[in-house]
Amino acid sequence: MAGALSGVRVIEIGEMVSAPYAARLMAGMGAEVIKIERPDTGDPARTRGPFPGSTPHPEKSGLFLFLNVNKLGVTLDLECAEGFALLEKLVQQCDVLIHNLPPPTMDRLGLDFERLERVNPALVMTTIGPYGLSGPKRNWRAEDLALWAAGGPCALNGDYRHPELPPLKAYGQQAGYQGGVHAAVATMGALMARMRDGKGQYVEVSVQEVLAGILEMTFGFWTYAGLVANRLGQKPVQPLEVMECRDGWIYVCCIEEHQWQSFVTLMGEPQWAKESIFSDRLQRAVNWDALRPLLQEWVGKQSVLDLYRQAQERRIPFAPVSSLGDLVNSEHLRARGFFAEIDHPVAGRWNYPGAPFCPQRTPWQIRSAAPILGQHNRDIFSGRLGLSISELGRLKEAGIV
Amino acid sequence: MSEQAEANARYPLEGIRVLDFCWVWAGPYCTMQLAHMGADVIRIESRKHPCVTRYLPPWADMVPGPNRAFFFNQYNLGKRSLTLDLKAPAAREIVYRLAARSDVVTCNFAHGVIERLGFSYDRLREIKPDLIMISLSGYGDSGTYRDYVAYGPAQVPLSGFSMLTGYREFPPMHTAISYPDPSAGIHGAFAVLAALYHRGRTGEGQYIELSQWDSSMQLLGDALLGYAMNGSQPERDGNRDPHMAPHGLFRCKDPAESALGMPIDRWVAIVGRNDTDWAGIARVLGRPELAADPRFATVAARKRNEDELERLIGEWTAGLEADEVVERLQSAGIAAAVCADNKFLAEDPHLNARGYFCETPHPEIGVRKHAGIPWLMSRTPCAINRPAPLLGEHTEEILTQLLGMTAQEIAQLKEQGVFE
Repeated sequence: MAGALSGVRVIEIGEMVSAPYAARLMAGMGAEVIKIERPDTGDPARTRGPFPGSTPHPEKSGLFLFLNVNKLGVTLDLECAEGFALLEKLVQQCDVLIHNLPPPTMDRLGLDFERLERVNPALVMTTIGPYGLSGPKRNWRAEDLALWAAGGPCALNGDYRHPELPPLKAYGQQAGYQGGVHAAVATMGALMARMRDGKGQYVEVSVQEVLAGILEMTFGFWTYAGLVANRLGQKPVQPLEVMECRDGWIYVCCIEEHQWQSFVTLMGEPQWAKESIFSDRLQRAVNWDALRPLLQEWVGKQSVLDLYRQAQERRIPFAPVSSLGDLVNSEHLRARGFFAEIDHPVAGRWNYPGAPFCPQRTPWQIRSAAPILGQHNRDIFSGRLGLSISELGRLKEAGIV
Repeated sequence: MSEQAEANARYPLEGIRVLDFCWVWAGPYCTMQLAHMGADVIRIESRKHPCVTRYLPPWADMVPGPNRAFFFNQYNLGKRSLTLDLKAPAAREIVYRLAARSDVVTCNFAHGVIERLGFSYDRLREIKPDLIMISLSGYGDSGTYRDYVAYGPAQVPLSGFSMLTGYREFPPMHTAISYPDPSAGIHGAFAVLAALYHRGRTGEGQYIELSQWDSSMQLLGDALLGYAMNGSQPERDGNRDPHMAPHGLFRCKDPAESALGMPIDRWVAIVGRNDTDWAGIARVLGRPELAADPRFATVAARKRNEDELERLIGEWTAGLEADEVVERLQSAGIAAAVCADNKFLAEDPHLNARGYFCETPHPEIGVRKHAGIPWLMSRTPCAINRPAPLLGEHTEEILTQLLGMTAQEIAQLKEQGVFE
């Protein structure tokens, strides 16, 4: 089955998460992605793991393997003129270039749109910058944690009962993922515009701005009501909490009034539930310190899966606190065919997380494992760009590919 | 669009119409992206059961009202609103006629709801053969739990985030925001755009099924693959990182202001990626000898002595303003940033200099800051040309403009309660 983006050629100069994730999304929809890595060490995601048996190996990093399925891999030193000239030749043949090199590195390499547009006026070039390409923080050093803090999500998470503990990041490289998927959306917008008139353009994405836009209602507490929102404040609605059952953790979640009423019924109509301090969701939030132990006492006697099922039978949106094992072994996810077994010549055969969404006519699919460092050098540099084997040998000797 | 109109189009999605049945957050976040790119997004709303986000605080100046809620006004920027009582046959007829003039239909109801309303993809495709339709639901259209109810906050623990997120030796934590909602929404926007691209080349529409659970698990891809490899669940470890130290948040001087008695503290994120970074941090701390100190000289040593490492840095930051800590570290090439709360963000000189915030005037609450568009396009700019709609604001406008209804027809329908 042809993909929605089959025939679209993408060059990815990606490190770690953001640009690689954007290109992963496009590759799964059928785009051909050529991933350019530096010749010596490749994408730093190769050093991140997790590794089988926890033994580091550049071809076995879980983060790299996950992000780079379906891609062709070449190595190229963009710091030297000859390497950059080869990039320009590749750009002539492609539709999209997406990268997340930091702005100071772009400046040093001369990786700018005006230059590449000259070799290919139909090019869509997307830069994912931590703070964008203008403004006083343009050249700031950024790491995922720093961006998660600078964009606003980090300040919101924590434990109000332990104000001495810092604001808490979410697991993993979430700034990178959000930057990547938003960049993929913006890139598709530019491809849609190009469909009208054949002209490319430059797309710039700021990861800080992406994160500042996903803060739920909290940003507005300041701009609508003059209130600071941080991890030490009350939730507007309760119960919305992770609570401990006798055999694990469950998320107790009542947003609509009928959900709370059904939960009270499920608990056997305890006397305290009639107290006026628990009369609506706002009251339950204000009086959460009183309500929490009462709920915990009952929840603590239940088992996770029974409570999950009983709540859901009453249309109460509880959910278990899933471990990775729960997810990998989930009957629901298996029935949906979410995980896909992928064989990699060095890393071996593992179950990968699969499609993020299911377009019925043009499915998102994994067709091949992540590339070994430089795996497609010959296919691309000789096959596509017409370099002779001896020229390729010379470039390899010189450390350019 | 005519060829002439196409040639004059300014926005990437100019001429694309979206019939939007979405509500709460995931779906509206999806369709807001399309509106940002110039699509005409028509939100179908109900006066009897308006979107819950119209009734959640904060409201402008804390005066409740369906048009005053930030949550709604933020994530529906640039859309139009049409109110319909979808149980009324005349309302259904209006939807069918609008579908005929739309490119995309979106919804994020629980499994089966849109079909029961009479708007299954098969039905709508009879009216508009190249229609693209996306359904974003918590669990998807298939699988054991497809009929379960899902709310954004509960998708955080369900999708695996909570078990991985938290302080060391503390219980699983949430992510504070309903993180899977915007994640599903933005993945949905990508899927719709790819489907539009496919339609542009082939003339074929399609139905897209999106399970919020599936899209959320993408963001944990490395951990899931790690479990497949080793069968192990990483322990919750606060803000630390297995490969870098320091990697954490450090408390600075509390800011002077305090809003309504709310405790406000200020923290700075600091990351030392390698030994060179660490030497730079040691110099900024005024303790250059720490670079070669055997307790901290290598990443392995810093990981072993991370409590002590964090104590030393925390001692230094405690006496300084957060901005100054960041300034000094950034000058030394170290990744550092203030952990921004909403006020700090709204006042951030960088974001303001970039013109990030959207301050399109709103007829009921005036000019307020909202998060804007996080990308810039050089040739076909994106823009927010209208604020979030008042409830039902565009009902008559849409029926007149798109369906050619007369004022008399509209008045009759109104009398029948079709716009409730």
